[in-house]
Amino acid sequence: MPVSEMICSRKKKLLVISLYAGEIMLKNGAETYRVEDTIIRLCKSKNLPYVEAYVTPTGIFMSMDSKGESQDEIISYIKRIKCRGINLNKIAEVNNFSRNFVEGKIPMDEALPTLKAIDNSRPYSKRIGALAGGGLAAGFFALLFGGNFAVFIAAFIIGSIIRYMMCCLGEMKFPPFLSNIIGGASMTLMAVLFFYIASLMNIFLDVNKVITGAIMPLVPGVAITNAVRDSIAGDLVSGTARTAEAMIIAISIAFGVGSVLKLWFFISGGCLL
Amino acid sequence: MIGYIKNFVHAYMSTVGFGIIFNAPKHTLIKSGFAGGLGWTIYTLAMNTSDSVVLATFIAAMTVALIGEYLAVTDGNPITVYIIPGIIPLVPGFGLYYTMLSVVEKQFDKVADYGSETFLISMAIAGALVIVLSINTYRRQRQNPAD
Repeated sequence: MPVSEMICSRKKKLLVISLYAGEIMLKNGAETYRVEDTIIRLCKSKNLPYVEAYVTPTGIFMSMDSKGESQDEIISYIKRIKCRGINLNKIAEVNNFSRNFVEGKIPMDEALPTLKAIDNSRPYSKRIGALAGGGLAAGFFALLFGGNFAVFIAAFIIGSIIRYMMCCLGEMKFPPFLSNIIGGASMTLMAVLFFYIASLMNIFLDVNKVITGAIMPLVPGVAITNAVRDSIAGDLVSGTARTAEAMIIAISIAFGVGSVLKLWFFISGGCLL
Repeated sequence: MIGYIKNFVHAYMSTVGFGIIFNAPKHTLIKSGFAGGLGWTIYTLAMNTSDSVVLATFIAAMTVALIGEYLAVTDGNPITVYIIPGIIPLVPGFGLYYTMLSVVEKQFDKVADYGSETFLISMAIAGALVIVLSINTYRRQRQNPAD
């Protein structure tokens, strides 16, 4: 193989590695500046004078050159990102990887398999995620907003069931907009059901507080905060895109919850809420 | 006092729960719980003294960011891992949902009310995080300007 081709293939390999690292980070909820920083750092560590990365929540654009700007050896690459979630473990792992790669502890040939292993690493199992994650989050949130013990129990159960359901829907690649509507609607339905079960046992259950707790794992609080953070940091396109995403999630949940509440209001004749 | 301890425990547990939902690494769960719990305790404290939601949120978010920064430096994990579960008790997710619910119900005066509050709270949190983080970035740049 001629020397120039070898350099070219090495460059392409580096491009693919840094792009893949950026993709994993962006898909799992890292901030825009962190993704750009990682990509540029990975490339610069192998002595490339010209690297530019432009990251938005829906795609990564990057180009690099081994000689400097305005040379004719620029390589560019575009990667479209379709689904986004939050998985902090993968962000931490990629961060570790990039530190080791920059320090030269990971050779070029092992980099891609390492990244693949990170990308395929399993999250917490669905049952732990539902019971410990959804249940704890929803139950204690209900307490935080001034609920009593009955509210805690109801929110814990509903939160676990909803979390499990959302995980299953996510694995089936169900459209996120629809699954949020279903999540909100079934959550409200269960809260109303719990209200009637509790009233059979002569306990008054505050449905509003149960819904407040159980809805917390669904609502896009982190998304809207990250959107404002991106905007302040100067990534205006990312900020706007993330705001739109948060709005759409909130609308879909409100749609699900609101329709069930309206229906209940209509059936019960407006005696509650 | 008992009320604050209770608040701390509740916020701690829900932060850990959210940490599991967000797949935070196992050894960071307990630590990020402290960020969330302390943040919320400070929020209630500031709420009781100043009675301003935005100011209380700002101070609490700053606390979370400082704790996150400290943990990130000592553990070598990115700060995101601690901050995202930590700010969860403060974020206006419920406000955003309520805004949209009011839109669906055509109660536009409530939309303005909840919407502006949601926007202000998210501004307060994001502002606090950015202030703490950029001061730290600046400090690091001053220490090794070659980077």
